[in-house]
Amino acid sequence: MSVSINSSQNTANFNPVGKSVPRIEGRGIVTGQTKYVFDVNFPNMLVGKMIRSDRPHARIKSINTAKAQALPGVKAIITAKDTYGIKYGSNEYFFPHTVDQMAIESEKVRYIGDEIGAIAAVDEETVLEALNLIEVEYEELPSVTDVLEAMKPGAPQIHEAMNNIGVILPVNFGNPERAFKESYYVREDKFYASAAAMAALEPHVCVGQWESFSNKITLWASSQAPFKCREALAKTLKMDLNDIRVIKLAVGGGFGGKLEMLPMDFAACLLSKKAGGLPVKICYNREEEFSFSRRKHAMYYKIKTGVTQEGVITAMTGEVIADGGAYCSYGPTVMAAAIMRIFMVYKLQHFRINGYRVYTNTPISGAMRGFGGVQSGFAIESHMDLIANHLEIDPIEFRLRNITHANMTTVNKMLLTTNGLKECIERAAEASDWKNKHANKNYYKTGIVRRGIGIGIAADVMGSKMYKSHESAGAIIKVEEDGSVYLFTGAADTGQGSNTALSQIAAHALGVKYERIRIKSGDTEITPFDTGSFASRVTFISGNAALRGGHDAKLQILEIVAQEHKLDINDLDIVAEEVIDKKDKTVLMNFDKALELCYSFNYGKQIIGRGSYNPKTTPIDFRTGEGNVSGSYGFEAQIAEVDVNTETGEVHILKMWDAHDIGKAINPQSVEAQIEGSLMMGIGYTFTEDLRFKNGRVLNPNFANYRVPRSIGVPEMHSILIETDDPEGPYGAKGMGEASLLPTSAAIANAIEDACGVRIKDLPITPAKIIEGLAALNTPSPSTSS
Amino acid sequence: MVKLVINKKEYLLDLKGHETLLEVLRDKLSLTGTKTACEESECGTCTVNINGKAVLSCITLAADIAGEEVITIEGLADGDKLDPVQQAYVDYGAVQCGFCIPGMIMSSKALLDRNPHPTQEEIEYALDGNICRCAGYPKIFDAVRKAGEMMQKGPEHAGPEDTKEKFKTNMAKGITYEEFLQMKQT
Repeated sequence: MSVSINSSQNTANFNPVGKSVPRIEGRGIVTGQTKYVFDVNFPNMLVGKMIRSDRPHARIKSINTAKAQALPGVKAIITAKDTYGIKYGSNEYFFPHTVDQMAIESEKVRYIGDEIGAIAAVDEETVLEALNLIEVEYEELPSVTDVLEAMKPGAPQIHEAMNNIGVILPVNFGNPERAFKESYYVREDKFYASAAAMAALEPHVCVGQWESFSNKITLWASSQAPFKCREALAKTLKMDLNDIRVIKLAVGGGFGGKLEMLPMDFAACLLSKKAGGLPVKICYNREEEFSFSRRKHAMYYKIKTGVTQEGVITAMTGEVIADGGAYCSYGPTVMAAAIMRIFMVYKLQHFRINGYRVYTNTPISGAMRGFGGVQSGFAIESHMDLIANHLEIDPIEFRLRNITHANMTTVNKMLLTTNGLKECIERAAEASDWKNKHANKNYYKTGIVRRGIGIGIAADVMGSKMYKSHESAGAIIKVEEDGSVYLFTGAADTGQGSNTALSQIAAHALGVKYERIRIKSGDTEITPFDTGSFASRVTFISGNAALRGGHDAKLQILEIVAQEHKLDINDLDIVAEEVIDKKDKTVLMNFDKALELCYSFNYGKQIIGRGSYNPKTTPIDFRTGEGNVSGSYGFEAQIAEVDVNTETGEVHILKMWDAHDIGKAINPQSVEAQIEGSLMMGIGYTFTEDLRFKNGRVLNPNFANYRVPRSIGVPEMHSILIETDDPEGPYGAKGMGEASLLPTSAAIANAIEDACGVRIKDLPITPAKIIEGLAALNTPSPSTSS
Repeated sequence: MVKLVINKKEYLLDLKGHETLLEVLRDKLSLTGTKTACEESECGTCTVNINGKAVLSCITLAADIAGEEVITIEGLADGDKLDPVQQAYVDYGAVQCGFCIPGMIMSSKALLDRNPHPTQEEIEYALDGNICRCAGYPKIFDAVRKAGEMMQKGPEHAGPEDTKEKFKTNMAKGITYEEFLQMKQT
């Protein structure tokens, strides 16, 4: 079978799973016709803006909106007085105490940008003028913007939490102290991973409309989780879920930033009500996007590991301190990901890492792609190389001695069924010619430009219960009498390609070509429930629902055919749009004829397939870190080869190899695109993406000063897809999309050390740090490692 | 009144001096295919072609380009036949979230119209003003190269051979009733 990717050749894609079919919305996007919420424009639509705090920490004494209200063209203003003052959060189910943000703050502001109201007016000019007429009287409070300062006794108190520690996550197994005593070598390192911005190109944008006669609201939102958004709206507006409809259109990127309801979503709905039902659009500009949406947690990661002489890990302890910003957001899950992912990667028995997520008077940290795994990936994978180097064991060999394997239960009760980690490492090593390059003194190690190679490995979940007790997905497959097939899914395609992958799965299960599928996704009123696009869960969980829906529709069709032809339904199947008799391999009729039969005079049977899937997991005990969080696990190894200019400190990435256990590639081209995009995002984070603050204000809220990767200097990237055929995944597929971002910074840092001996432990890696490191290497005094 | 020529259509518009081409396209003419992600000339998302050159519409005053030939993403396809650049972006998987794609395609188009055989370096430089946050650059580079070939030789010559080769190791592991498939496909 050949992989066909060329739609222009007009080849139909039967059995589409495993083929690189074009994006289902591809033609719409390349012609500019695909509609994003950014493009929505209704008659009489008002423009909304948030009224924000310009103080990092203050008590609100009064807000005077009278002058703004009097400005011609202003249609509605809301403040906390117009709300129920209900708090909402993102990890309600497991961490109810972290529900700490009000849609509109009433008493106190906690960061520069905190929402204290909103205005809707006829146009942007008017709304901006009205914003300037708002008078707020504050009682300034002492503020704390540094995470380590915030933890000290006596620091300004941002919420009720003791020492501003909003989340404590202790993960604790065995007896690490005793194991350290019995270890041949124990090493401790400290790392720092900086804050970063999601910086999706489509900004946060929504349109809210209150329908006065029915008292219902509709919100068009650029969202990764429309159902989650609906839940938060219902809670804060004190409405029933079914009185709120959240509609997701095409989403111009999310990367974790669009997982939550923001105050703007709430405000658009309430402003619309106050304005008599006129639709209200609120759209962030780029500065707001960088300053007031969500950001990646900056983390201090301290880690200590004991090993035997043979390089087997005996125990690990550590401490993670994360800068949470003003509210909790997805903080608990980010901490869990930053600490507990390691059990999927390394065999550990004695372990204790305590995580502290600390409030500061800075913008809110949330769930950026990889949750906390990018920061911990940098720390852990750098640390592993430092241990291997000390033991003079090849870093790959060291990892192979310690990694998890298939069919094992980890110390915290994660069930690893299929596990391609070893194969990932070996394949990446082979493809990169590791053994001839690593620690090879004859491999470009003299002269100004030195070359090095480094590895990082990772694993990831595919799904995680965060705000509900279940994380199910559903699918409805409607097949009409003309043979058209509609797939309804709650899953939110935010650009990763889930609409395409789910359509492939549904078509494959039903036995029809991919081109037959029409998809409607992420509309809370007409599609089944789905928790959203996060934790690399959609292909695995929503895909399983689509698979079941496709099978169900197929059985309904075959039931009619069996009845009509007096055959046993078990002998029938639909393959490549033919209804066949499997016994004698004859074609009974084509798909269209079968549907004509279903909808004929005698039968009149509607074909509506349904699928539902909830992964088999166990509850996590967040006092210890025990629990099987995901229905399966994905694995990954990444190798970077770099040139370091020892005069300028500049690093040039020559090539990267990424071997990824994805179970089965539903769409190899999309899988590759996710890997390549992750690597680039990781490269950006490693070198240039550094969201900086001063006194709580973002210093670089624009693309000129916050440098994301661009086309110049994109390294050669090689994706190696490892198919382990997971028994639980749809057609063997696992989730992916985050794992390949996790080890990138460490793989690069490890390669830099291999090239020139400099070890960078704090991100971002800059030429200045490398020059400084080289200078330290050349000074005669013995350098001490931290 | 100012006469703008957009996608070969003439519009007579009452413009204010400060109105940008981006605002006119999106707000006055509902040509929302042209996006923007910064409105400060950093992201390239608002790129259109003026007289064949890639131009940022967010910093172009509409009144300044009266009578010039403006092509936006909506003006590339010929009916339902896509421009080779658009077709290549679909075929070679260059589209992810899609928000950067209209601008990216317009920059690619301007490059290929003057140089259908760009080197890798020329492609990288031509697209450096366009941010793709999904970072799908490798597939975008493939698409630009292949589009150039298609523009030179016609679409039938630009097969997906190299991609086929790349995916060979990852192909489906066999399917049920292959004979039926073959029957269908021949």
